[in-house]
Amino acid sequence: MTTRIVVAWALVGVPLVYGVVETVRKAATLFTG
Amino acid sequence: MVPSFLARERTVAGPGYSRWLIPPAALAVHLCIGQVYATSVYKTALYEHFDTSLTAIGVVFSIAIVMLGLSAAIAGTWVDRNGPRAAMFVSACFWVTGFLVSALGIASEQLWLVYLGYGVIGGIGLGIGYISPVSTLIKWFPDRPGLATGMAIMGFGGGALIASPLSGRLLSLYDGGYDSTDPMSVADGHAVMLLFLTLAAVYLVFMMFGAFTVRVPADDWRPDGWEPSQAAQKELVTTASVSANNAIRTPQFWLLWVVLFCNVTAGIGILEQAAPMIQDFFREDGTSSVTAAAAGGFVGLLSIANMAGRFVWSSTSDVVGRKPIYVLYLGAGLVAYVLLATLGASSTVLFVLFAAVILSFYGGGFATVPAYLRDLFGTLQVGAIHGRLLTAWSAAGIAGPLIVNQILDTQGSPGELTADAYRPALFVMVGLLAVGSIANLLVRPVAERFHEPDRSRPLERSSS
Repeated sequence: MTTRIVVAWALVGVPLVYGVVETVRKAATLFTG
Repeated sequence: MVPSFLARERTVAGPGYSRWLIPPAALAVHLCIGQVYATSVYKTALYEHFDTSLTAIGVVFSIAIVMLGLSAAIAGTWVDRNGPRAAMFVSACFWVTGFLVSALGIASEQLWLVYLGYGVIGGIGLGIGYISPVSTLIKWFPDRPGLATGMAIMGFGGGALIASPLSGRLLSLYDGGYDSTDPMSVADGHAVMLLFLTLAAVYLVFMMFGAFTVRVPADDWRPDGWEPSQAAQKELVTTASVSANNAIRTPQFWLLWVVLFCNVTAGIGILEQAAPMIQDFFREDGTSSVTAAAAGGFVGLLSIANMAGRFVWSSTSDVVGRKPIYVLYLGAGLVAYVLLATLGASSTVLFVLFAAVILSFYGGGFATVPAYLRDLFGTLQVGAIHGRLLTAWSAAGIAGPLIVNQILDTQGSPGELTADAYRPALFVMVGLLAVGSIANLLVRPVAERFHEPDRSRPLERSSS
């Protein structure tokens, strides 16, 4: 069951982290110009 | 009736099933349907492809949001009766079909097919998908309903964060002349059609993962060491049950409708105008010190604040209570709006800070409301009640942009506005938040005459 939980969270967590990282990179231009 | 493999009875969790599989199942659906907030990526491409107005393209999004509210309100009882697997499955079918019909519309240059596909069919998928995991999460997490719904509804905010950069990269792949990092670059219609087909395939897989992972708890299941009496120790938390039909006859439902409407309208007031707003606030002698790329970064930052607020504030409500957290959303949101209107133009950092706080409360308001409904009306038909409450979102989706755009129209032309032009609209939002605060303060426990007589017999089973 633990493996299943890890896989399930990874399936949704990895895309979410990708989205947050991409957005933060884009948002950084707000303060760096 | 639903096919047997989707039947609620087939989804009852056996012994040893972990409730921590439910949030990722819910997230899988919400991350997909959250794409609706990433439509700006291909809006200009559709505008050029169909050779029409931006308003005509914007209608696609408006239809989808209106259909979201309507389908959530109408299908809520069906969702509660048939369970989350059937709801997620149906939502996936509508959402994916919406993309496919829209792709056909783009290929054949028939805009009405995009209205029908993404707007109407996709919008129905949005509404059913949005409410599909809510009541199940609340039943699995009776000890922390705010945390549970916050995790899922956070996904709706997060969906755009994923879809936006992903769509940009896919459009670059399908159209060699398109550069997603250049705001002036526009993809061709063929690339958008291929993007829609790709998104349809990806979302089908993800949403089916959610549908076939989700389970409902057995009737006698409880979290280890938790007793229902623990939840009912706060004034507004009931152990009674109120049906959806009775709930809409209570003043509490309509007070919460006003609370959600005011909170969402105030948030949309900023979201709708975010990019031009920050440029206008820092415009001197006709030139803004904030570039278009930086304004795009500001929109991204607001999306993160919106998403984080859904999780952080909703989880916090489990500790401080639902009514006090809305006092914060509406009261502190009101103060933040006043500060934005009066001090926002003095510093970019302050402007971003106030706007991010407001958007975090906007997200928090969305994510906490299912738990607020659970507290007031019980778990019996909380999904259906939530669905009906979401009509406030549809109404706010029309009212928010209308208020802001109409006021700005009287202040000057786009590209020439300054911070002064926004102040009337911002103070209207302050007034709305004051109205919402009063509505929240008037919320009292639901009168006993609205309670179901037999709490041991779930209505959703008896009516099936």
